[in-house]
Amino acid sequence: MKHFSEEELIAYQLHESQNESAISKHLESCSECADLSESIAETLRVFSADPVPQPDLEHNWQRLRGNLGVLTPQRSRSFDFLRRSWAWPSVGLAMAALILLTVFGVQIHRTGETKRNIAVNGHGPLTTEPRDPAIANHLDAAERLLTEVNHSSGALDDTTREQAHSLLLQNAVYVRSARESGDLAQAAVLENFGRVLTTLDNEPPTQHSAWRLRLEMNTSGLLLDIRILRQNDDHSQGVSQ
Amino acid sequence: MSNRRMDKAETEAIRDVLAGDRDAYRVLMDRHFCSVTRVAFRITGNEADAEEAAQEAFLRAYNKLPSFRRDSAFSTWIMRITMNTAINLVERRKRDLSYHAPRIADEPSIAEHTVLVADRQAGPEASLLNREAVSLRQAAMAELTPMERTAFTLRHMEDVPMAEIAAALNITSNSAKQAVFRAVSKLRRSLTPIAGGLR
Repeated sequence: MKHFSEEELIAYQLHESQNESAISKHLESCSECADLSESIAETLRVFSADPVPQPDLEHNWQRLRGNLGVLTPQRSRSFDFLRRSWAWPSVGLAMAALILLTVFGVQIHRTGETKRNIAVNGHGPLTTEPRDPAIANHLDAAERLLTEVNHSSGALDDTTREQAHSLLLQNAVYVRSARESGDLAQAAVLENFGRVLTTLDNEPPTQHSAWRLRLEMNTSGLLLDIRILRQNDDHSQGVSQ
Repeated sequence: MSNRRMDKAETEAIRDVLAGDRDAYRVLMDRHFCSVTRVAFRITGNEADAEEAAQEAFLRAYNKLPSFRRDSAFSTWIMRITMNTAINLVERRKRDLSYHAPRIADEPSIAEHTVLVADRQAGPEASLLNREAVSLRQAAMAELTPMERTAFTLRHMEDVPMAEIAAALNITSNSAKQAVFRAVSKLRRSLTPIAGGLR
């Protein structure tokens, strides 16, 4: 007698099998496969859907709204103008200009042009331009620290405070280099982060200090800003439609 | 989650948002935030992370709205973004050993970041059994990879068709099926030592 594999029986229990009637017939006569099939069914019953907590819509909307910039639609490009008589010489000129711009563009980039900013949130513009990969570790550490601050219920422990002190020194360097490179968006976010770090470094560790920090300095919003900065660096996270 | 076309209210909301009215986004949030949080909760396994992932997904969708092609429904699109965002969050949490979201346990402990979920209707014995069952389920789910967990919970708990899961995770339908099958197999083995009847 040919037995069915565990995978085939899982597919059968999930109604994903192409062979449902044959498996069903086999289970009536084979106790070994029937036991395995029942064991799979029991596992699925154990992991049946638990209730899901309902989110507070108003609170979430208020939190999100502060981070929404004003959008404009992408313009659809029409190529109708190519049909006109003057179009092709113009295209030739445009191509020549493009080559010149490419040559001189490198030079302009090196002199530190201010980067284009698109996303806007409550604290200032966030950049969507690629940045120096050296800052990735700093943003990573910043995100971890803010996550810790946002989730801690009592006074912050010594390790977290030491980490804040260490990040404070590094942060000043990154703020300065962001300003020097003309990336005002990154500089604005890091400056805000610097304020949180300074407060953490100077305030005595009381039971309510982390709570007050979260409220007064909007660490949740700052965490979101830092995540956006990190995501801008992460080319592998693209979402396709 | 469905492939239905967007209705008039959603189309108008998107048009208004793109015309500069960010408050119009509230229409889309009111309609989809609960289902998005629900899927994020299935993937992340806790309420705080689910809300964070949902927030992040809605923000990413908002910023990408100018490039949103309306050949698919907004609900399908936001779900795809949510799944990716939630999986990324779970992977970040796994990398970040210093972070521990509150977990459900038999005894609450600040040091272990565990909490006790009270069931006011159950008696002490039922409550104990319930807590044990929750603990075991959580431990078994923690053994799954983010991909397996996502595919399994969406297929089994949310009844999402395999093709939609595959599209959202950017994998083939067969790979999505294999992820679900591996997840069920792992969960079954996790329960074997204590379930008695399970083999």
